[in-house]
Amino acid sequence: MSFRSISFKPMRFKTWMAVIAGGVPASLAAIILFLVIYSWPAAHVNGIGFIFRDTWNIGNVYANPIQVNGVTIMPGARYGILFLIAGTLLSSLIALLLAVPVGVGAAIFLAEVVRGKLRTVMSVIVELFAAIPSVVYGLWGYVVLVPLLGHHVYPFMAKTLSWLPFFGGLPGSGYGLLTAGIVLAMMIVPLIASILRDALISQPAALREAAMALGATKFETVWRVLLPGTRTVLIGATILALGRALGETMAVLMVSGGALNYLPSNIYSPVSTMAAFIVSQLDSALQDPTQMAVRSLAEIALILLIISIGVNALARGILKVWSFAGNPAGAVQR
Amino acid sequence: MISGDDNHASPESAQASSRSSLTIAGGSGRGVAVPKIIRKVSLGRRAFSIAGWALTSLGVGLMVLLVGSILWTVFVGGWSAMSPSLFTTVTQGTGGGLLNAIEGTAVLSVGALLLAVPLGVAAGVYVAEYRYSRWARAIRFVADVLVGVPSIVLGYFGYVTMVEGLGWNFSVAAGCIVLAVMCLPYITRSTEFALGELPDALREAAYALGMSERRVILRVCLPAAMPGVLTGVMLALAISVGETAPLLYTAGWSNYMWDGHLTHSPIGFLTYAIWTFYSEPFSSAVALAYAAAFLVTAFVFIINILSRYIMTRERI
Amino acid sequence: MNNGTRLPSRKAAKGSFVMAAMVAGALLGGGTAVAATTHMLETGSSLLYPLFNLWVPAYAKVNPNLKITTQSTGSGTGISQAISGIAQIGASDAYLSNAQMMAHKGMLNIPLAISSQMINYNVPGLNGDHLKLSANTIADIYEGKVKYWDNAMIAKTNPGVKLPHKMIVPVHRTDGSGDTFIFSQYLSFSTPSWNKAVGYGTTVSWPAVPGSQGAVGNPGMVATLKTTPYSIAYIGVSFRNAIKEAKMGEARIGNRDGNYVLISNKTVSDAVVAMAKKTPADERISLIYAPGKSAYPIVNYEYAIVKEKQASKEVAEHMRKFFTWAMSAEHGNSKHFMEQVGFVPLPAAIRELSRKQIEKIH
Repeated sequence: MSFRSISFKPMRFKTWMAVIAGGVPASLAAIILFLVIYSWPAAHVNGIGFIFRDTWNIGNVYANPIQVNGVTIMPGARYGILFLIAGTLLSSLIALLLAVPVGVGAAIFLAEVVRGKLRTVMSVIVELFAAIPSVVYGLWGYVVLVPLLGHHVYPFMAKTLSWLPFFGGLPGSGYGLLTAGIVLAMMIVPLIASILRDALISQPAALREAAMALGATKFETVWRVLLPGTRTVLIGATILALGRALGETMAVLMVSGGALNYLPSNIYSPVSTMAAFIVSQLDSALQDPTQMAVRSLAEIALILLIISIGVNALARGILKVWSFAGNPAGAVQR
Repeated sequence: MISGDDNHASPESAQASSRSSLTIAGGSGRGVAVPKIIRKVSLGRRAFSIAGWALTSLGVGLMVLLVGSILWTVFVGGWSAMSPSLFTTVTQGTGGGLLNAIEGTAVLSVGALLLAVPLGVAAGVYVAEYRYSRWARAIRFVADVLVGVPSIVLGYFGYVTMVEGLGWNFSVAAGCIVLAVMCLPYITRSTEFALGELPDALREAAYALGMSERRVILRVCLPAAMPGVLTGVMLALAISVGETAPLLYTAGWSNYMWDGHLTHSPIGFLTYAIWTFYSEPFSSAVALAYAAAFLVTAFVFIINILSRYIMTRERI
Repeated sequence: MNNGTRLPSRKAAKGSFVMAAMVAGALLGGGTAVAATTHMLETGSSLLYPLFNLWVPAYAKVNPNLKITTQSTGSGTGISQAISGIAQIGASDAYLSNAQMMAHKGMLNIPLAISSQMINYNVPGLNGDHLKLSANTIADIYEGKVKYWDNAMIAKTNPGVKLPHKMIVPVHRTDGSGDTFIFSQYLSFSTPSWNKAVGYGTTVSWPAVPGSQGAVGNPGMVATLKTTPYSIAYIGVSFRNAIKEAKMGEARIGNRDGNYVLISNKTVSDAVVAMAKKTPADERISLIYAPGKSAYPIVNYEYAIVKEKQASKEVAEHMRKFFTWAMSAEHGNSKHFMEQVGFVPLPAAIRELSRKQIEKIH
């Protein structure tokens, strides 16, 4: 039967599934490919200085376009996003510094203090934190957090903590780096807490028993024995949370103060992040008849995408071993 | 109760409840069940433990306080903005109702699910049932990575390619496609997880009956995994209802009801009302923002609790 | 996992799909019933937004078949979406640049009304005083050269006022904005150093002033000003009531003749009279820094940016009729509408130029 190999058979079920499932990588590939192609001319003009410069200037839109290196741009146009990179990384860093301790505390509480129904209820409350839409966080930040911090907390902090670097100076208005960090922290705490809680619960009982038998108090058992065992998970969850914080848009846009072209001088300074900047600048960028501004935004989107993908891939790599054994919360959680 | 646990230094099996430790800490004489091998815990260690528990509780307390504050703000502000006309009239400038936005959010979410569910479930089935193939592992990895794509990047992509590039203008189609890409990985991963949890005996039994691969997966495995799949779908629904950034530049906004066209006609959505009206200096606009925030948050919460309920009920 | 548990959930799943299909069907069905009307999207200037929100319901009584969605985004959006055809009416405080007119043939800039811009500040205790600020002072504040409220430049124009030694927080728009356009024109036309270093546009490269803040839209400017003591902001006149309610200050600003003026019907009209004769047929002209003893220096036409060639004859006709209504002194440009938003009606000569432009829409 030598013809068998070339006879037409209906496509196998598995093949069908494989093809349809290809939609997932296809959509990611389409986005990356589009961003690379679209931002190419901008990357060519902006060069590597794009990430080291502190000016975003779409140029004099009311003048006539000029030619630079064979590319048409508006006179005075110059693109650099160092202040955005700084704002993005710093706000996420502050978010992690605040969220990791709280997340660890919440995880220990949920895993060790409460049990049964109460644990379920409390876990749901913690996880609902993650379900609140970004724009609602922004609304709350604008109504409650910004006035509270700007009028009462920051002036006090700036006065009493002025001996600390970056804590003194102008207390600002409440819109700024620390406020953005706090809101971001609230959004990522549930992620850290729920992943770590599951890891703590799934630690072998023998570990706990052995520690107790050695005379450790319960907290010592948790802190010195169980928690170190979940170090990998904690690191993975933290990186995952970092990925979320880096790409967060609406809430940050509403509380960060929208700094343009300068680096924050202290933790109260207004900042801008890459994601928020894309929302606030797409409008004006579209006005540039040479398209250089909108292509430079695509370059920001590409850089943000690459960072996010890298961070996420790293986190998944770290969490991989664990996440298949246990709960997919890490994968499914927002 | 918390500090009670700390002083307890005797061996404790996982089941030994904290009740017995409480009695010891309390110093009452009823603690006979525990042998007297209790050593004194040094003051420093005790302080360390107490401080530890205190900080832990503080962390949780802080979270509960903040969630409470958000809910208070949204629900109190939203409740006072509630009125029947909110659900019967469309937005007029900075006043009016939210009927157009409610409809738009429903249309966009349903549309996104119609696109994402078949694709996501198929991908999940493939990744779970052929988990050892290289392609399946690649797809699982990409799905995980796709979760991390910032939503505004998707929105930007949608604007430049569909709204401008294909000339669809602000439209239902562009909004739905962008939302669907957002939802895809969640549906894929939860389907995969639900299928992965099924006992192999189920598949073996089905194959033993002579069923084809297709029938085993579609008629036996998938129905059995339905609660898990449904959880993923509901999560995706919650995401599409709560998203703002990817829709701003794809769905646009409309003060009127949807005219039924997939392209060339913008559509309203609830999160837009929050984002645009929250800082307007007109009280009618701010009321709309609160009302929209109330509706979105309440809906997302209900969906989340419902999906958790389905999940836990199935696990038991 | 046994049959007992999976059957109900399977049913539930089926049920929910059926429901989803029904919802989708109902929405589709409901949607097609109203297809006879014409929809238009108006987007852009947050300054024109309140006026459009007054116009649209009033015009709906004249012609219920035209449904206009209004959006407050920013003049930048108005211009770019009118060019790309995403919005039928782009509302803008700025006209198109020469390069834009060259790149996109057949765009019209039609003035609908005359607006002006306030310079507002939040200096506790002095908000009722209408501080006098010269154009050079404002430019130096936004360039970071004048850092404190008690700076000599401010003290000189405000003798006898007890100014606080507090850092000034300049607030600027982060979105593409016609307000930024006219504000930066005011500074460019009056202050050579600003013109050289920054220039004007709907988005400019703001000098890096530590502590300076960005805000989105005029509402965002009002909100930021209100919550930020010792800040200064430029805000469109439509938000004058909001500023008064919030008890923020409105500065008297320096005009070309060196006088300090506040917005009033007279000061704005004086500026327009000086510039109306110079307005060209395509009506692209800046009214900023007009000559005249009492002319208010930040005055501008509020434009509708539209395409000459519309998608269909019906849309074009609807648009011509709407603009004609909006511009007439009895309807859209009547005192009733203009006073609510602080605008001034178009002079007759300008209305005539606009009428000729409207006729080109087809």
